[in-house]
Amino acid sequence: MIAARRILAIAMNTWREAVRNKLLYTLLFFALLLIAVSVFVATLSYVERERILQDIGIAAIRLFGVAIAVFVGVGLIHREVDRRTVYTILSKPLSRTEFLIGKYVGLVFTVWMQMGVMIVAFAGVSLAMDAPLGAVHAAAFALTGVELALMVAVATLFSAFTTPMLASYFSVGVWVVGHLTRNLRDLGAASDSGAVAAITAAIHRVLPDLEAFNLSTEAVHGLAVTASDVLLPVAYGAGYAVILLVIATLIFERRDFR
Amino acid sequence: MSSTEAQHGDEIVRVENVVKDFRSGFGLRKKRVLHGISFSVRQGEIFGFVGPNGAGKTTTLKILMGLIRSSGGSASILGHDVRETAFRKHIGFLPENPSFYDFLTGREILTFYAKLSGVSGSQRVERVATLLKWVGLTQAADSRLRTYSKGMLQRVGIAQALVHEPSVVFLDEPMSGLDPIGRVEIRDLILRLRAEGKTVFMNTHILPDVEMVCDRVAIIVQGCIRYQGDTQELLVEGERETELVAAGLSAHSVVDLEERFAARLRGLGDRIELRFAEKNTDEMIRAVLDSGGRVVSVAPQRASLESLFLSAVENAEAPESGSALTGMGEVE
Repeated sequence: MIAARRILAIAMNTWREAVRNKLLYTLLFFALLLIAVSVFVATLSYVERERILQDIGIAAIRLFGVAIAVFVGVGLIHREVDRRTVYTILSKPLSRTEFLIGKYVGLVFTVWMQMGVMIVAFAGVSLAMDAPLGAVHAAAFALTGVELALMVAVATLFSAFTTPMLASYFSVGVWVVGHLTRNLRDLGAASDSGAVAAITAAIHRVLPDLEAFNLSTEAVHGLAVTASDVLLPVAYGAGYAVILLVIATLIFERRDFR
Repeated sequence: MSSTEAQHGDEIVRVENVVKDFRSGFGLRKKRVLHGISFSVRQGEIFGFVGPNGAGKTTTLKILMGLIRSSGGSASILGHDVRETAFRKHIGFLPENPSFYDFLTGREILTFYAKLSGVSGSQRVERVATLLKWVGLTQAADSRLRTYSKGMLQRVGIAQALVHEPSVVFLDEPMSGLDPIGRVEIRDLILRLRAEGKTVFMNTHILPDVEMVCDRVAIIVQGCIRYQGDTQELLVEGERETELVAAGLSAHSVVDLEERFAARLRGLGDRIELRFAEKNTDEMIRAVLDSGGRVVSVAPQRASLESLFLSAVENAEAPESGSALTGMGEVE
């Protein structure tokens, strides 16, 4: 209970830092701009205007969501050490694990809040253009939220032991490869070589399968999704994020703050 | 032993044979920066941890604060291993050149630290207001920290170290970068903490301040403790010197006196000032007179901490193995 209070204090402070960060508003501005531009692009088409509108809108939310998650997340720990703010914080009755989890929770909350603003803009333009909005959209955004939480965990892990520059390269790399692992596995399975199939299957298992969180096609085309289409990826994302945070904590616990 | 059980004179901080190696070059090389240091701090005293730059003062303090893990030995505060966290509600820490979240205001940062330290909501507002007043930041309380001067940040640092009313306070170079007025204020504050019964551990290289406020000191040089004990005893035990001003001595006589008595010389116009060991005073006076010179003045010199400190640094030779003064230099 007391640990939860300390984690909450760190999380609230991380959130406060983020909302006072101009970079975040710049990214949010461009995301909202892209959603607004989607209206213009959609009007250029004679067919499937609603689909184009929502395709661009959902892509903007996912892309800028990841950008915020990665570029704020990679500096999460490094900034604290570099600015030496960690010295006074860790001298308080607070464990390093509580500190790291607090930072993580604060950033996830920030990313979700930004995502909420983008979703409101998306819903606004969708309603203005008479594009359908339903449960499938909610499911798609819920899974995007889980993907972003997972990406914050990826960025936090790299932030625990390397520089923001390297951490951003690694995190973006994981995001790109994470969206390809499913295709890679399928390609490997179609290969004649058993070794290739085994290797691609192993890569798919070890690296996060971020396509598991992608319901944009279903949302844009209004396709039905089942409860398991949502709950299984949520469980997968939560489990994966916990494993990453445990590794990050183990690394962070051993660090010397020289 | 808990902080509430600590009696005057009890050991509050205990450091035993602490060793620290830093790894470099992909972890293949190790550099030993602390060579099995041992010391203790007693309840209710101001303890000065003194040493030149790079001696290992901050490394030692960071080990005590759990920011760095020691490579060997043990360190405890209030009877708790420094790797624990719960007991930290009884300690306060001011790092050297403290840095804070500059997007927060003075009031917000103190409230944040109070929350982390477990100060209850009902007490928090009052405690933060009291501390802001105490360190003279009430007027600037609602300004962002990025607008604060270095001296103001130092005051914030002191306030955050005290926000939860700790019984032991660790200060790393608390006078660093402060103007003379700021130094006096911090010195008064440290004395006030002692008067309130708190134990103060102070890392510093400003020796006059140590002489003025510290009850006990430890001198660390090249990662080894060269001396620890009572400040006044140290000054009494230290080798005393005599300052003699003479006139009418020939250049040849001056060189002869310098060599015979290992004296330090300083020219004062047509006079010469000689500093030498107090035990040689009578012999020196006779020698000056025999050389045809005249003794203008003779003044005993009390050893200063600075001279003892410099002596400890100069005498720091390659450490011998197997003692608390052990040093191993670079190890593979």
